[in-house]
This record gives sequence, structure tokens and C-alpha cells, in this order.
Amino acid sequence: MPSISSAAPSWRKMQIPRPLQQLFDQFPLQTYEPNHLPERSHHLTSNDLPTLYVFSTDSDARLGLPSFNPGCLKWQTLLRLANLDFRTLPSTNHASPTGSLPFLLPPRTSPTTAPLPIPASNLLAYAQRQQQQQQQQPKTNSTSSTNLDPDLPPRSQAYLSLVNLSLRNAWLYALYLDPAHTALLQRLYIGPSSSSRGVRAALLYQLRRAAAEQIATGAGGKIVSLAPVTSAEGIDEDAVYRLAGEALDALASLLSESGTGWFFGQERPGVFDAALFSYTHLMMEYMPGEGSGGEGAGAALGRMVRDAGDGELARHRERVLKTAWPGWDGYRR
Amino acid sequence: MVLQLHVWGPAFGLPSIDAECIAAIAYLAQTVSPADYQLIQSSPSAVPTQHLPALYNPSSSTWTSGFSSITTHLLAHPPSPPQKQKQPTTPHPPTTTTTTTQTADSTAYTAFLTAHAAPLLSLSLYVSSANYSTTTRPAYSALLPLPLPWTEPPALRAAHARRAAPLGLSALDTDSVRARERAERDRLAAEGWVTVPEGLQEKKGVGAALSAEQKMRIRLEGVAAGVLDVLGEVEWEGQGLAVRCLAFGYLVLMLVPEVPRPWLREVMEGRYGGLCEFVRGFRGEVFPEGRMLPWVEEGQDVSAVAVGMRFVRGVLGEVPLVGEYWSQWWTARKKREVLASRGAKVGSSGDLLLFLGAGLGLTAMGAGAFFYRGLPPFGEAVQVWRKPVVSLSSFGAAGAMFSGALYGID
Repeated sequence: MPSISSAAPSWRKMQIPRPLQQLFDQFPLQTYEPNHLPERSHHLTSNDLPTLYVFSTDSDARLGLPSFNPGCLKWQTLLRLANLDFRTLPSTNHASPTGSLPFLLPPRTSPTTAPLPIPASNLLAYAQRQQQQQQQQPKTNSTSSTNLDPDLPPRSQAYLSLVNLSLRNAWLYALYLDPAHTALLQRLYIGPSSSSRGVRAALLYQLRRAAAEQIATGAGGKIVSLAPVTSAEGIDEDAVYRLAGEALDALASLLSESGTGWFFGQERPGVFDAALFSYTHLMMEYMPGEGSGGEGAGAALGRMVRDAGDGELARHRERVLKTAWPGWDGYRR
Repeated sequence: MVLQLHVWGPAFGLPSIDAECIAAIAYLAQTVSPADYQLIQSSPSAVPTQHLPALYNPSSSTWTSGFSSITTHLLAHPPSPPQKQKQPTTPHPPTTTTTTTQTADSTAYTAFLTAHAAPLLSLSLYVSSANYSTTTRPAYSALLPLPLPWTEPPALRAAHARRAAPLGLSALDTDSVRARERAERDRLAAEGWVTVPEGLQEKKGVGAALSAEQKMRIRLEGVAAGVLDVLGEVEWEGQGLAVRCLAFGYLVLMLVPEVPRPWLREVMEGRYGGLCEFVRGFRGEVFPEGRMLPWVEEGQDVSAVAVGMRFVRGVLGEVPLVGEYWSQWWTARKKREVLASRGAKVGSSGDLLLFLGAGLGLTAMGAGAFFYRGLPPFGEAVQVWRKPVVSLSSFGAAGAMFSGALYGID
């Protein structure tokens, strides 16, 4: 029985009544064993493969199938083209240290230090490093399939801006702002985030707002006030789709001029091919525009890709799929 | 009928203050005879597209905005072709005999200029506080009728800052950096933290004496080189007319304006002599000294009332909470106007419903207020207060004592 008066610190104005003190001396009545980590946490955190976190569904990610987000798909394709082993896990922007997907978590090398995640901006350097390591090990006879650091001419920058400006704007407009694709948007981004009706509505509103802001800012659109344009009304839909069509035609003629089947006369697909593929694949996969003629221009991004340069870009997409996802035909929807 | 090109007015000795407007003027000046188009000095709040340059084609009565949309529109609807055959002096007809490679390159460089040259220019003329306050804002003040310089240039600057934001050099905006620091100091003072007086603070080093541009000079040069390296490699003479006009529009604004922090011009003159030569050559060819552009004074259209309305709309857009909905509604309304001009089928606006709803709501509120004021006050209709009779008995025990003491009566 501890003595109460002597142990009581000075700040305690009132002594605890003895019966209460006795009662609380009994605590804790019982200490439980700590819970085990969930089964999946072992599989998710201790793996000797690096993990690429992308927007995807559970089943697609397990099979390593293409992500449905262009930014993620670009890097996923590039890593696959580089023949690097990695696995994908579905995730959201909230999980990313930079606030945006994708990021890569290298395998844990020691039990005490956690590996630093690699954001998308450093993924190219990481892939190059990994490739050099692979080439230094003579026992791996897997021929590295892609040249990650080719000397592209300066005009490749100009063509890259076609992908990053015109195609991106068209994709953003079609997926987020075109009412014809609301169901697709719900299925890809909103459904997995929450089951609550209110949260979904708020999320939809936020996504649309952000997409409109992105398009208007990038293209130097309307200036109505200090705040950016935040609705589809502020965007010239016809111009967005027309620019995308012109961009696809230009890219198709560039590709046919190259002659090797990959851009800029390269023998192997590289960063540029991955960047273009990330949009053409998604446009053809999710907005095929087949059959339905009356759905408006938004539904026809896939058709625009198919028609560009007599199907040049569609064939390019097939080639990338065959190189990066050799078993793709088995998973085709 | 003559085409009407609405553009930002002239500044820095150039036909316009905005790159795309310069490009559009240059394009029209080379493809259309001066009798067939008019230049109208305007601002985004005055045209239904809310974006300049905007082309109004009276023969089809359509509005088109944005440089690439305008060139596409002009290719599809060539202005009065028979007249052009009569005038073989029109310098360059739109080149139709271009190879596919050239078309592809033109498309690519147009996108590149929009995606990369525009943010660079925004950084130099709008984000940089020194350049904005010394050069750009006075130029806009000279262009706009009086109350508008209070609303439109700040909105433009905000838009350009958003455009340049991905470059990550917003520290050039020393105004906002200083405002942030001041807000932080005020916050600390308000929360009662003891702050070190200005005089006792750590001595500032060389960094304090440098301007933001000087501190970030290396990064700025890197950003500029990333854009200009690509543009410097291009054989501009062999490119299509439209993309040459657009490149001229952006490059001439990097080169010509007299700004207090001329890092962009220094980079261009120092390392990209070919680009400077292209700009000078193009300028000498298209806008020689004595060339008169077909400007139209639209004094009769710009009444004080119209300017006032534009100002009020600009102010309304900045009202917190309401402003955003207001500008959304206004943008939607203007978009319907533009779509209707193109002959597109436009769904009913719902404005009537909105006004009806708002009117009904206000009427209901008014009627409610009127009814409430007409109600009698709650409780008894008439409250009567009677003055109590003062007698000694109303003082209780003391009164009783006194009354007994005085009169001897219980």
C-alpha cells in the first residue's frame, strides 16, 4: 500500500480518497496481447521487388495491367519497356509523399531503415541506374530492351508539348468535363474513394473544377476575375478537340517519317513512346467511340486516334503493348 | 463586309501588348488586304468570347477567339477571295502547298510556344514585380479607360502568374513575398510574441542587397535556355506563316519592352542572335516604320455606361463567395452567346428560371417581412401600468412600525 500523502505532488490540492485509490490500484485489470499486423501488410511491405504506386484497381494492379491514369501509365510503361522488375499497387494521391502519383518504393534493404520513396520526377534517373546495374551483371542475359537516354533532337521537345498540352487537355476535358463520360469518371476515380453520396458529389465537383482550371490555365483561356476559370463553361470545347486532332495528325506524320516504328528513328521504344502511349492507349481503351455516332465529339477521342495518319498511332499502340505487356491479348476487355 | 479583329491595344511601340494579339495582327496583315479588316482596341470584358484576340466575321456573324482558332477560321472562310485575285499585291497568301512534315512541325511548334514560351514571357512581364509595376501596368493603364485599370490588370497578372506557376519561380513576385512576411510579423505581434527590433536583427548579407532577379539569375537563365534552345534551332523562314507569326508575337515581347530587370532580353541577345535577327527581320518586313494598320476608333461604342458596367462586373467578380458564382454565371451566359453565333443549338439558359426563382424568393421575403411588421406585438394587446398608491403600508415591516409609532394604531 503506497503512502498517499508523501507521494502526492504539490499541485494536487485534494488527496484522492482511499477507496478510490485502492480501486484504481487494481488497474489495468488485464493486458491484452498486441494485435498482429493484418495478413496483407506483410505482403505489402516486405517484398524484394520495388513497388510502383499507381491509380489502378485491385485486380488490375495484381496482374500489373496498365493504370488508367496517363501520368502513372507513362512511367509504368517506361519501367516495363526497360525490363525492370517491379510490382504495382493501387493507391491515391493522399498516400504519396509528393502529393501525386506515381511514386516508387524501393525494396527494403535493412530491417531498420525505411527506403526513401522515389517521386515521378526522379523515376527516369532511377531506371537508368537500375539498367546500368543490370548491364554490369553479366549473368542476366535479358537484353535491356530500351535506350533510356537517347539523344533526341530539340524538336522532340516541341512534339512532346503536343502530348503534354494538346492531348492532355483533350483527355482532361473528355473525362472530367464532358457529361458523356460522367459514368466512366465515377467508376475510375470517384467510386473507389468513398461510398458516401455526399463525399462523392463533393469529390466530383472538386475534380471538375481542378480539370477546368488546368485546361484554362495551360491554354491561356478566359480571364474573368482574379480567380481562375472553374467550370466547363469557360473552356472552348471545339478548340480543345480540334487541337487534339491536329496534334494526333502531327504525331502520326512524325512517326511515319521516322520509319523504324518508334519515334525519332530509334531502334527501341523510349520515353517519348511511353508518353504518347499513355494517352493513345487510354483514349482507345476507354473512349473507343465505336458505333455510337450521336454522342458528341467527346466520345470520339479513340476514333480520332484510330484515324490519325491511317491508323499509324493505333499500330504504335499495339507495338508498345506487345513489347511492354506481352500477354495483353489475354486480358483484353 | 470587313472582318473585325478585337485585340489589346498597342504598347512598347508594338501593335499590341499581348503576344497572341500581335501574332493575329501579323497574320491578318499578311493574308488580308487592309481594306478587308479592322483592328479594334478592346479588352476581354468587352467581347463575348472573354478572350483576346477575338475575330468577328460579319458575313457568317461568328465570334472566334484564340490565335490558332482564328487562323483555322480564316483558312476555312477565306475573306472575299474574288477581291484577292484583283489585288495580287497581297504579300503572302496562306500557304497551301506545304508538306506534311511542315504541317506537323508547325503544329508542334505552336503547341510548344503555347506551353513553354508563354510562361516564360509571363514570368518576365507579369510575375516579376519590378517589371510589372514599371512597365506592364503603366502600359495597361494607358490602354484602358479610367475605372478599368483598377480591375483588369490585376486579374491579368493573376492569370499570368498561374500560367508561370509550374516554373516554380514565383519568388520574383516580391510584392507578395513581402506581403507574406508582413502578415507573418503582424501575426506574431498579435499573438504576443516578443520580436527582435529591426535594428538589432542579424546583419543582412550580400543577399539582401540583391534583387530577386539577381538572386535567381542562374535558375532564370536555365529556364529561358530550356525554351530558347529549342526555338533557336528552328529554321523559321521555312516554317508555315501562322507559326512564324506566333513565334514573332512571343519573341518580340521578350526582346522589345524596356523593363528594369531585362534578364530575358540579355539572355536572348547574348546567346540567341539568330532569334533576335528573325524578330528584327520579321518586324521590318511586316510592321515597317510608316505602316498604318487599319485601327478603328470605336468612340461611339464605348460609352461611359458600357465601361461602367464592365467595371462593375469586374468588381462583382472579386466579391468573396458570391464573386465566383457570379463569374461562372456570366461566363456561361457569354458562352451561349458565342455558341449561338456559330449556329449551334443552345439549350435553354435557365436564366429565366433563375430570375423567376430569385424574384419569387425576394417577393416572398418582402411579403413575409410586411406581414411580420403588421402582426400585433406578442402577448397582451394592451399593457396598462398603474402607478401604485404610495402609503406607509407599502414599506412592509418598517412602514408598519412607523405607522404604529406615528399614530399609535396597529
